Amino acid sequence: MSETGEARLPLTGIRVIDVATVIAAPYCAALLGEFGAEVLKVEHPIGGDACRRFGTPTSRGDTLTWLSEARNKKSVTIDLHRREGVELFKRLVEQTDILCENFRPGTLEKWGVGWEVLRAINPGLIMLRVSGYGQSGPYKDRPGFARIAHAVGGLAYLAGMPKGTPVTPGSTTLGDYMSGLYGCIGVLLALRHKQKTGLGQYIDTALYESVFRCTDELAPAYAMYGTVRERHGPHIESGCPYGHFPTKDGKWVAIACTTDKMFNRLATAMGRPELASSSLYGEQKTRLENRSDVNEIVRDWCGSLTRDELLKRCNTHDAPAGPLNNIADIFGDRQFHSRRNLVAFDIGDQGETVIVPNVIPRLSETPGRIDSLGPALGEHTDEVLSSLLGLGEDELATLREKRVI
Amino acid sequence: MHAQEEECAQPGADNLQAGDARPPEPDPAPQPTAGALPLDGVRVVDVGNFLAGPYAASIMGEFGAEVLKVEHPIAGDPMRRFGTATKRHDASLAWLSEARNKKSVTIDLRQKRGVELFVRLVTKSDVLVENFRPGTMEEWGLGWEVLHEANPGLVMLRVSGYGQTGPYRRRPGFAHIAHAIGGLSYLAGFPGETPVVPGTAPLGDYISSLYGVIGVMLALRHKEETGRGQIIDIGIYEAVFRQMDELAASYGLFGKVREREGAGSFVAVPHGHFRCQDGKWVAIACTTDKMFERFSEAMERPELASHLLYGEQRKRLAARDEVNAIVTEWVGARSRDDVMRLCVDKEVPVGKLNSIADIFEDEHFQARGNLATIEEEGLGPVVVPGVVPTLSETPGRIANLGPPLGNATYEVMRELLELTATEIAELRKHKIV
Repeated sequence: MSETGEARLPLTGIRVIDVATVIAAPYCAALLGEFGAEVLKVEHPIGGDACRRFGTPTSRGDTLTWLSEARNKKSVTIDLHRREGVELFKRLVEQTDILCENFRPGTLEKWGVGWEVLRAINPGLIMLRVSGYGQSGPYKDRPGFARIAHAVGGLAYLAGMPKGTPVTPGSTTLGDYMSGLYGCIGVLLALRHKQKTGLGQYIDTALYESVFRCTDELAPAYAMYGTVRERHGPHIESGCPYGHFPTKDGKWVAIACTTDKMFNRLATAMGRPELASSSLYGEQKTRLENRSDVNEIVRDWCGSLTRDELLKRCNTHDAPAGPLNNIADIFGDRQFHSRRNLVAFDIGDQGETVIVPNVIPRLSETPGRIDSLGPALGEHTDEVLSSLLGLGEDELATLREKRVI
Repeated sequence: MHAQEEECAQPGADNLQAGDARPPEPDPAPQPTAGALPLDGVRVVDVGNFLAGPYAASIMGEFGAEVLKVEHPIAGDPMRRFGTATKRHDASLAWLSEARNKKSVTIDLRQKRGVELFVRLVTKSDVLVENFRPGTMEEWGLGWEVLHEANPGLVMLRVSGYGQTGPYRRRPGFAHIAHAIGGLSYLAGFPGETPVVPGTAPLGDYISSLYGVIGVMLALRHKEETGRGQIIDIGIYEAVFRQMDELAASYGLFGKVREREGAGSFVAVPHGHFRCQDGKWVAIACTTDKMFERFSEAMERPELASHLLYGEQRKRLAARDEVNAIVTEWVGARSRDDVMRLCVDKEVPVGKLNSIADIFEDEHFQARGNLATIEEEGLGPVVVPGVVPTLSETPGRIANLGPPLGNATYEVMRELLELTATEIAELRKHKIV
């Protein structure tokens, strides 16, 4: 792990154990690692984190998602089903600030490393617990994945054409990332509390509630007026024109006229400023009443131009429009390059270059870093167990032979 | 709900009368809750509009920060008029929910005296949140250089559609556009058909705010070590793009352009949404062979999970249509309650596709406190999403919902900026506050 000689990162000196799997809690650990924390990824000696098999494999065997999202981590193999493994794990936790886990509630307890046990070992410990339904409530024991969380949290119901099949809201892992973000906020708040009091705590985050928290006025509107929001396809109920429109070259653009001023600009970009007059569609109320007419006018216009021509006109007049980028578009998009949103890494052992999303958020004085992509299974087991727990070569060999590590 | 641009922050009189901006009495500060919260003693100025950034300030408020929402004296944050209105003319439902815990302070940043007051306020604050179009704060004489000089420890969160740099930085940015630019919208919908909104329109505003809080917390830590503040610069589009798992890596290495997948996913089968006999929907996610084995048992067709048939993910992916047809038929022959019961019994990853009506009846939401009911004067009970995440020792709080316009102007001018009552009256007369 490098000290670059630039500003010390905010989490330098903080040690994190990530015993979680796939993306939810591990993404929190990845964020902490980007900003200086040492992250020890504790994995089962055989197979390791299921994320290594999630999605598209590379020639190394590990998937692309693993390489990207296990960035900066060190892989340490320990079998928590074994008593000796549990002892090693406890000794590691003793020397750690933050523990991230996302097993089904009760799993760590079953292995003898529940909150009460770990807190007794390390009173300052901060423990992030992410699960499908959280640590409490009637569904807590059910298996949970982001897809299920999108459904339970009310997001999936809203994605799709009116009365049509509800679709995946863009990505099946969205809820995992969002829970990782909320988890990271919880961890950073808890670190602050610990600095003041010396005391740790646990953060209990459910996938479904991370999703539900981001549904704007859905709950208050139902409670106050009984409004049940339905699917609106590419549009929304409260603004017009607002949606996705096809262009002459078979591509798509997004247009978002949430205010009259925005529509005025769009009308100007269309070369039809009269559309924004008060006698026609100048007011949102009128546009909403004549939604299909307005959408048709915009759709006709979009269909008469290529995507690039259309965006050029919108941008000239500050009308809110953008391309529906696919990933090939993104790789050719100057904004992404200007902002260094894509960063390439050579995977030395394979002679391949892997391109991954760069660190977000961007901090001016202490920008995050990606020192390495996802490690090979057990790559750092010896290093970590010898330096932190003082195990000798013989002990390591014995543990390895017994498949504890 | 978007990173907003300067015009909307300071519009004309709109539907509010100038007189409405005046609070009858200085409003008392929210009562502190028992137990110290992690951000007690931290003061946040939130001069943003709508959600992208301001939601970050809301989270800080939930965990103890004092959040001063600085708004135009006449119109206030346009979020007050966004979405469904209430009987309180200055508060839509989204405002009530997401401006939780804030105090409203009116200052006109287009007047020189307003700018001076704002700089003094920032000098006494730890964090500033803004989401104007890049360059707007600078036009008002409130760029980073000025504010940093006034308060070297200042942490400034800047959220905008495209970020503070790059060729598109000056373009108006909305979450809807950011979902498109960031690659999310392209993937929502059926193959070859119209791409749809990925669930909700302001999703990217929320996601960028979550990154914003993380940035602020990191910067506060750095400030405590060094005394120095910094800028956190977030483009909504890049916060969205950061969620896209292997999308970039698989294009970069294999040239694979992911397309819309309807209700399914390229990673696993069966993994999608299925319609029950009663017309309701469930989500099923068999991400592993073990999950599919359980599901086969729930369907009372354990042979489906044999190696000869669909026991391996590889085989299920290759026979996607056949497997989905089996599931569609099985689910379609049962009510949602039956599907749920049979799947839950076998520990299959399953969930209802909840509408908001379903959510209000869901015992788990009740048990977890995900629906918080707050009594609001003049409105009665208002139900809003509870605080996420849940911290065991320092749980967050909702002390008040979105405040009336200018409810803390007097208090802040008097106590924090130490103006006299006469001076404040003079400022009001000129509509500077």
